[in-house]
Amino acid sequence: MSYLRLQNVSVDFPIYLGSSRSLRKLLVSSATGRGNLAKDSSDRINVRALNNISFEVGDGERFALVGANGAGKTTLLKVLAGVFEPTQGRFVSSGRISSMLDTSVGLNGDSTGYENIILRGMHMGIHPKDMRQHVPAIAEFTDLGDYLDMPVRTYSSGMMIRLAFSISTYIPPDILLMDEWLTAGDAQFLAKAQRRIEEFVAGSSILVLASHSMALLEQWCSRGILLHQGRVLMIGPVKEVIDAYHELAQRSAAEAEAAAEAARAA
Amino acid sequence: MPSTRLRLGMVAELTQLEALPEAGAGPVVDLPAQASRLDQAFADFIEGWQLNWLWVRLAHQDMRIRYRGSLIGPFWQTLTTAIMIGSMGFIYAKLFHVELQDYLPLLSSGLIFWQLVAGIITEGCGTFDAVRGIIQQVRLPLFLHAFRLVYRNLLIFAHSFVIVPVVLVIFPHPIEPLRLLELIPGAVLIAINGVAISILLGTLCARFRDVPQIVASMVQVIFFMTPIVFPPGALGSNQWLATINPLYAAIDVMRAPLLGQPTGAHSWQLLLIITVLNCVVSFLFFARFRARIAYWV
Repeated sequence: MSYLRLQNVSVDFPIYLGSSRSLRKLLVSSATGRGNLAKDSSDRINVRALNNISFEVGDGERFALVGANGAGKTTLLKVLAGVFEPTQGRFVSSGRISSMLDTSVGLNGDSTGYENIILRGMHMGIHPKDMRQHVPAIAEFTDLGDYLDMPVRTYSSGMMIRLAFSISTYIPPDILLMDEWLTAGDAQFLAKAQRRIEEFVAGSSILVLASHSMALLEQWCSRGILLHQGRVLMIGPVKEVIDAYHELAQRSAAEAEAAAEAARAA
Repeated sequence: MPSTRLRLGMVAELTQLEALPEAGAGPVVDLPAQASRLDQAFADFIEGWQLNWLWVRLAHQDMRIRYRGSLIGPFWQTLTTAIMIGSMGFIYAKLFHVELQDYLPLLSSGLIFWQLVAGIITEGCGTFDAVRGIIQQVRLPLFLHAFRLVYRNLLIFAHSFVIVPVVLVIFPHPIEPLRLLELIPGAVLIAINGVAISILLGTLCARFRDVPQIVASMVQVIFFMTPIVFPPGALGSNQWLATINPLYAAIDVMRAPLLGQPTGAHSWQLLLIITVLNCVVSFLFFARFRARIAYWV
């Protein structure tokens, strides 16, 4: 039984760089930052990246995170990965988590693909002795062939994705967290990746996927959450969440247009 | 301390949550943990230490990467240090009007121990910053990064240290072999201080981006105040500069037995006091801000 559970989770980012004043101007004028800024007692700017979020993901669920840039998807994934401790609220999870928030972690550009399999495995807490026996199977799944003898810095981003995904999912985690980079893989690899994910989600694992590709989310996920400026707008079946997202995007586009019109008129 | 051993960010009692699903075989994470900050920091330390297979390998990997493709690899470290000691030795022995026979052993051992101590301090500023990619993606004990850093610096040190016996063979000194055992507690204390200072500076520098520059310039200043390129006697009436200098104490307790000289009267005491202070301050500081480090880097 694996699960993820958030209870009234909020995350505040203190921003220290630069003068708070100019930064505030900068953030307020940007479309994404509006609404989640707060000033604390010591006059420092706090970005409330996540605001009072509660939900639960259970066995075998494929969960989509939907939202515009800056809605809080990546921050939420970092909370789920256990690296950001919530400033308020509580986060509980059970199960071995494998997070693929970016491709580069545990990969070293100057080492070869094979060496990186061992290296990334170590960062996942797998001893090289145990990892070594899995190397051939992981190598095969990547379809990279002789490229695995080359330093990883010579790889294209698509090749990096193949390598990182193959390593992270070879030993099926209980909970797999993925940020949108996966969608940059080519169609053939995506199909292969989906098959693998379906395999282990069938075995009562959890997938949490953040992406801007609605087609992919609809295909891969069953339930989802719509984030807007760090708040939950909606939780429900993925189709409804995606519809709500489109509606939201249209509405904010219309608002922006109206604002531009008003500015022109003034 | 609760009786159940703490796992990182994990507590045994989950009773406050209503209708909590049964915990499976996988590890449970519960944040923010209900345990006290000190307990959590201590759990971080213990778990970091238990991952020694990981940080030992990562440190070796760091070395391999640093010298990848070079012919003599990490022995570049040995070679550059040897060249520096050789050239400095001849010039400074003349400047200070001392015999090369006395000066070169003093300089070589002093400089190599200094490189170890100063290396840990300067790199300590990046303990967490340099590995932000890992910190922001994988939940690992933060002490792991400090252990890796100190161990890596000890590896580098081991490569340049081979110069010292060579110098001592060319310029023999009367050595009491038994006193060489003093090198062991000396090295252990330096390693302990190294872990503590890299945790402290790593946390501080993650939050305040000016600190690395301040630390770098302070290390530079202390280098000129510490009897490394000049004999301790040269300080004359300003001997106190060496007496209160913890970095000199660290170097002295290692260097004196190698050179067959008496260890400074207060060196061991100072080093021990500094070790306790360093560990306490660094641990309390870490315990207070541990959870924020991932946000800062």
